[in-house]
Order: sequence, then structure tokens, then C-alpha cells
Amino acid sequence: MVHKFHLPSKRKKEPRLKELRGSLISLAGVIGRKVINQEGQELGTVSDLVCHWDNNDTYPPLTGIILRLSRRKVWLSISSIEKITPTKVLLNSAKFDLREFKPRSGEVRLSKDVLDHQLIDVDGARVVRASDLYIASINDQVRLVGVDIGFKPLLRRLGPNSLRVRAIPDSVIDWATIQSFGGDNENNNHQLKLSSSRQELRRMRPGEIADLLEDLGRNERQELLNSLTPALAADALEEMEPKELEGLLRESSVAEGANYLSNMEPDEAADALRDLDDDLRRNLLKKIPKNIARQIKKVLDYEEETAGGIMTTALLIAKGSDNVKSVKQMLISGNDDAASLSAVVIVNKDGKLLYDLPLSNLVTADDNVKLKQLMKPPSTVTVDPEASLKEVAELLIESRATSIVVADSSEKPLGRILADDLLDVLLPKERFHFPRLLSS
Amino acid sequence: MISELKNRLPKRSRFLISILAIAGPGLIAANAGNDAGGIATYASAGAQFGDRTLFFMLLVTVALVIVQEMCARIGAYSGEGLGSLIREHFSIRQSSFALTLFTIANIGLVVSEFAGIAAALSLFHVSRFISIPIAAVVVWSLVVFGSYKRAEQLFLVLSLAFITYPIAAVLSHPNLGQVSSNLVIPHFVFSKDFLLLGVALIGTTITPYMQFYLAGAITDKGVGPAEYPKERRGTIIGSILANLVSIFIIVATAAAITKRAPLTSATDAAQALKPVAGKFAAQLFGIGLLGASALAAAIVPLSTAYAVSEAIGSERSVSKTFREAPIFISLFTFQIIVGATVALIPGNLIKTLINTQVLNGIITPIILIYILKLANSKNVLGDAANGLVFKTIATICIAAIGALSLIVTINTVSGWLGLSI
Repeated sequence: MVHKFHLPSKRKKEPRLKELRGSLISLAGVIGRKVINQEGQELGTVSDLVCHWDNNDTYPPLTGIILRLSRRKVWLSISSIEKITPTKVLLNSAKFDLREFKPRSGEVRLSKDVLDHQLIDVDGARVVRASDLYIASINDQVRLVGVDIGFKPLLRRLGPNSLRVRAIPDSVIDWATIQSFGGDNENNNHQLKLSSSRQELRRMRPGEIADLLEDLGRNERQELLNSLTPALAADALEEMEPKELEGLLRESSVAEGANYLSNMEPDEAADALRDLDDDLRRNLLKKIPKNIARQIKKVLDYEEETAGGIMTTALLIAKGSDNVKSVKQMLISGNDDAASLSAVVIVNKDGKLLYDLPLSNLVTADDNVKLKQLMKPPSTVTVDPEASLKEVAELLIESRATSIVVADSSEKPLGRILADDLLDVLLPKERFHFPRLLSS
Repeated sequence: MISELKNRLPKRSRFLISILAIAGPGLIAANAGNDAGGIATYASAGAQFGDRTLFFMLLVTVALVIVQEMCARIGAYSGEGLGSLIREHFSIRQSSFALTLFTIANIGLVVSEFAGIAAALSLFHVSRFISIPIAAVVVWSLVVFGSYKRAEQLFLVLSLAFITYPIAAVLSHPNLGQVSSNLVIPHFVFSKDFLLLGVALIGTTITPYMQFYLAGAITDKGVGPAEYPKERRGTIIGSILANLVSIFIIVATAAAITKRAPLTSATDAAQALKPVAGKFAAQLFGIGLLGASALAAAIVPLSTAYAVSEAIGSERSVSKTFREAPIFISLFTFQIIVGATVALIPGNLIKTLINTQVLNGIITPIILIYILKLANSKNVLGDAANGLVFKTIATICIAAIGALSLIVTINTVSGWLGLSI
């Protein structure tokens, strides 16, 4: 899929990394190098660098290194480090309090938790894997400034150590546009948290986030989902490939899954639920708020390739005797998804459909006018829930409307089909997936 | 409906349908795992050593269950494919070593799949110089132009021809006493040939590709810790069923071919299906072999391309055009070209098929070490990591496979150097 939108942040932040180019130190290069104290004695080698992940820092500061002392791994705080060069780490004193390294909250080991792991390149809207990381001094503080995703750093790391002295950055991305994750769940600690959630992430289009969700590993995917607002998460899930979405619902807890589903449009939620195992579907529906679950079940009752199967059950219903003002009030106060409300269904006292009033006609009318005064020929066309998608398409074209009401045989409105719902099912998905595995 | 259909059919087919109804889905899945190399190796085992390899197959089944269970568990608890896990949890050198070996083993398999297609079509008197290039182009285009899914159904149906093996085994009236004694009591032959075939049997049954495939499939389905117990049952039953089919292939071939010599042609191998298909045995065998080979000829190179792309970090669910997924398509294309070209080299197709399985058998224990390390790691699996007992059993298992492979490797290499051990 070609992403045409570029985020405004890109141009702003790039020069920063360029300024630093000369002074970048490669993480892969510095790992395994000697750690030397003030008296010139070699204490051990660098095992890892530790950074502090914080929401406020664009570039996470280095908090210390993990020193390998024969078989032990000990912690050296940044305060005891004089200088880090591409080939060695110099300390500022001769004596240290050597303690075992224990990760504190918010601290991440760059080599163990970030290097070779997945990251999100927010600007490029893609999932990348870190083949090297770069640190540099900014205002006397050593910080993580960039990530290399190129192939050359991998080759460099494959070769002999002497080759790694001079790291030549290949395809470096500014850390400011990278979304990272919280690291491994050691000790089965499944408390997931997105390290520092970038504002830009929330400005991505739902389709882009859906692509990211499909490409990420499970833990990363859950972290990303948890960091989104429920509404954005739901929008992104609606854009996912049906198979991928089913997988995601299976791997999420029932409570989480139900939460995602209840924020989605009922027709999309029904679509996702359709192919799940009966048990899981039942459990999910149980956890979804009753009024939403009812709407989803209505859609689920119909076959997938029929009008009923793709309709949204979110309808704005009013009586002929209501005036324009009261309906506008309903629109403003209603927290239904505005996108699915392209018209107001006018019903009689038995709940039978009288007329489908486009919102454009409503907004241009006077506040005191009664709805029935706005009902003009031609009369509204409805479609049967069992109708095929082809029939729906034909009726939509004939009526020249952007949506069509689905009504049962007694003319009671059941839902609405928007032109875009129909396009979704009629047009093959743009994104092509190679067949991954046998019939899966 | 099945019973209605059953009554209208001759007795022999009625029996077939009863079997299908009972073992149905599991058997079909297990059968799909039997590719060209598998069929050739099992058939050759039967032809060359009769039922003597059955006890060995029992041991291999135990090993397969242990390995597949670990892979399924890794997939379910980590939610990541093996390619990506190896990259994340091993050094870059170890990762590239594993993935290079995996690629080599898979290229061997691709060679065997094309050799399988050639052997199958040779039964219909098509020269390999026609069948292999056409098959390569067809498989490549089906995958790259996105119409593979439909073709896959066809290949699966064709490969169902091999479901007749259990029936053939029963109808060939094997000596039940001999079969069961061979199954329970070791009847090893201490010869180089037996050893080589043993490694080929391991290589074709415990294939690195199946391990990557299984972990990937479970991850893709979104199977998590909650559904894992059910998935585990499925994996174990599937592994056992797959080997049951293999054992039937050995028994049927052992009964059909009485001259104990290595298998050299597909026509000979097809003799095993005579009790079911009579004079059409060759055709039935050919159809099955074609389906099984064509199925795997697409899936094996795809699984390499996925694992390597995943480890390199180029987008996993890749898009269609070459520009958007250059690494993926290059890897896929490369394997098809190499596989088809090597299979074209004149020589005995059945021997090629078995030799590629030996190659897999030699690489398998190395990949298994990685899998064992991942399954032992609390970092990867948390509480689901291997316990002490399981760890011990799995280690012994892998060490035994490794020892066998090592002996064969040393033997082969010293053979090249003109030494004999």
C-alpha cells in the first residue's frame, strides 16, 4: 500500500541527527570493548548499555552500562563514566561499588531489549528491526539518538571485531520518529507498556496502524493497541485483514477483545466474530455491553454475503411529528459514530419506516419545521436483509443515495448500508499477502 | 449421507470411507505433510529393509512429538515465528548460522519437490526436461500472481491419493506377527546403508521446515496460552497420525517389493499401491506424488522466505510488487531456480529425493538445538519454559539425533577424502 500522507514532524527533526553524524557511536561496536579505570587498568568488557525510557525525552538518556567481569555482570552508573569512545569506555575513578545489575522500572538494555527487536518507524509507517543503535552526546549527556535498519550493519556485526571499530551509518532513522517497546517480559511479567508513546503515532491513519499491527509480534502488537485510544484502536482494527483480526481477537484476553469489539461499528464487529470458534464468540459477546451486543447479534443472524450481513445497526430514528430542532439535538448528544449517520429514519407510531431523510435536507431546514413536512417524493427505497450484495448495489445506484435502509417484510428498519460498506466487500483488499501457510 | 453413499459402493470402497470418516481431518493434514522426499524415503525403507525400520520409526515418532510440542508451545506463548525469535535471542552470528543452514536444508527440499514432480510425471511418460521447467514456472507464477490459494486445494486433493496407503498395507496381507515384532523390538542392521537411511528418515520426518511452519502457523492463528492445551492435543495427535501414515507406507512397500534393494524408480515404488489400484497403481502413485510435490514446492520456499525476511526485519506480510518486497521475492525466486536446476541434472530421481532428506537429517539436530534453547528459556516462554524432566528428555533426544547425523557426516566426508571407516 502506498502511503501518501507524510507527517509534518519529519522535516523538523532530521537535521538534528545530521549534526551529530560525526560523533555517533555504534552500540554494536562498543559491546565487548574494554572498560578501563582511571589508572588505566582494564576492569572488564562492556556487556550492555542501559537507557531510561521516559515520556518526556525524545532521546532517551544513558543511565549506565553493564560491565562483564569474568562471569559476573555488574552495574556501573553513568556518574562513574568519564567517556565512551567507539573502542573503549573510560571510568572516572579507580574504585567502584560493584553490584549485580537489576533492571529498574523504565530502564531498558539496548543490546538485549532493543537491538534486533522490532520498532515502529512512525514517519515511514512501517515496522523495522534494529540492526544497530547509535548513541551521541547532546549537551554533555549521552543519549540514544538513532537506529540503523540497514543490511550493512548486520554484515559488519557478522565479521571480525576489528571491522566494527569504525561504524559507518547505513540507513539511520532519527530516534525522535521511532516508537519503541518496553522490552522482554522477563519472569513472565506480562505487564505491557509502551515505553514512550509518540504523539505522531496517534496522528497516523487507521489503515496505517492496521498494517503495523499485522507486522508486529504479539507482545509489541498488544503494547501498541494498549497505547491507542479505544476509538482509534477500533478504527485500526476495522481496517485489518479479517484473518489477522481473528488471530488478534484469539490472542487477546476476552475482556480486551470485547472492549475492542464494542468500540467497532456493529457490522465490522459482527464480521470479525463470524469466523471465530463458537465458544470464543459466545464469551466475547457476553462481555460486550448488552445494547451493543444486541446490535452485533442482529447482524450475525444474517449470512455474510447479504444485505443483513453487512449493514450497520446504528440508526438515527425519529417520528414524523418531531421537529428539526429536536432531531439536531439528538444528533449532537448522540455518541454514535457520526460516519454511519448519513440520514434520519422517519417512522410511524408502529415503528414502520415512512421516509429516509438525508442529513443534508435536515441541516438546511428550519428548526421549527416538522419532519413529515420534509418528506418529499420519490418515496424511500428499502432493501430486504436477505438481498444479495449485487441487488444492494443496484438499488443504491438506482436511488442515487449514499446509503440505503435495510427493512424487514413489515417495513421495520433494521439497519443501514453505506456505500463504503458495500465497496469494502465488493472490492478486493488492496494489500496483497503471500499465501503464508497451508490453508491458514 | 455418508452411510447412504457407502451402501451403494463396492465393499472395498466402503471400507475406505469408514476410515476417512473416522480419521478424516487429522489424516488429511498429516498426509499433506508427507512430501515427495517423505514418500520416497519411507518407500525406500520398506523396499530395502522390509519392516526392520519400524522400531526406529517408533523412536522417531517420540522425537517428533517432543519437537513439535516445543515448537507449538513456542509459537503459542511467544507469539512470534522462529525466524524472529532466533534473531532476538541469539547473537547475530548464531542467528545467521541457523538461518543459513535452514535455507540450505530447504533448498535441498525444493530440489526434492521438483525431483518428485519429475518422477511423478515420468510415470505418465513426460520427460523431466519438459516437466521441471514447466512446473517451476507454474509454481512461481501461482505464488507471485496471487492465485496460489486456489491451486493449493487442487494439489491437496491430488495428494489424497496417498491416503490409500493404509488400505494397501492392510490388503497386502502383511505378516502381522513380523510387523508387530519389528515395531516393538529393535531389528537394526549395522550397516552404513541402514545408518544413512536412518538419518534420511529423521530428516524427512523431523524437518526444520516443519518446525518453522508449525510455530508460524500457531502464531498466525493467534493461538495463545489459553487455547494452547487444545492446540497441543492437536499437534501431538497430528504428529502421531503423520507417522502412522509413514509406517503404513513402509509396510505396504515392504509387502509389495520382496527383493531387498534400494528403491530406484517411481514405478517400483508404485507397486505398493497395487492392492488398491491394480494395474492403475502407477497412475495413482503418480497423481499423489504430483500433488504432494507441487504443494510443497510452493510452501517450502515460501517458508524460507518468510523466516529469513522476518529475521532480517524486512516487512513480513509483504506486498505484491518486487519493489515493495525485494528480499522476499528474490529469496523465493532464487530457491525455485536453484531447486529446479539441480533437479534437472541427469541422475536417479529417487536417489536425489533420498539424498536431500539425508541433508535435512544432518541439519535438523543443529536447528533443534536452537529450538531447545528457546523452549528452555524463561525469557521467551516464562512459566511455560521446559521443566527439568522435559528438558532432560528433549536433550537426550536431540543428542541422539545429533550423534547419528555426526556419524553419517564423518562417514560421508571421509568417503570423499578416500578414507574408509
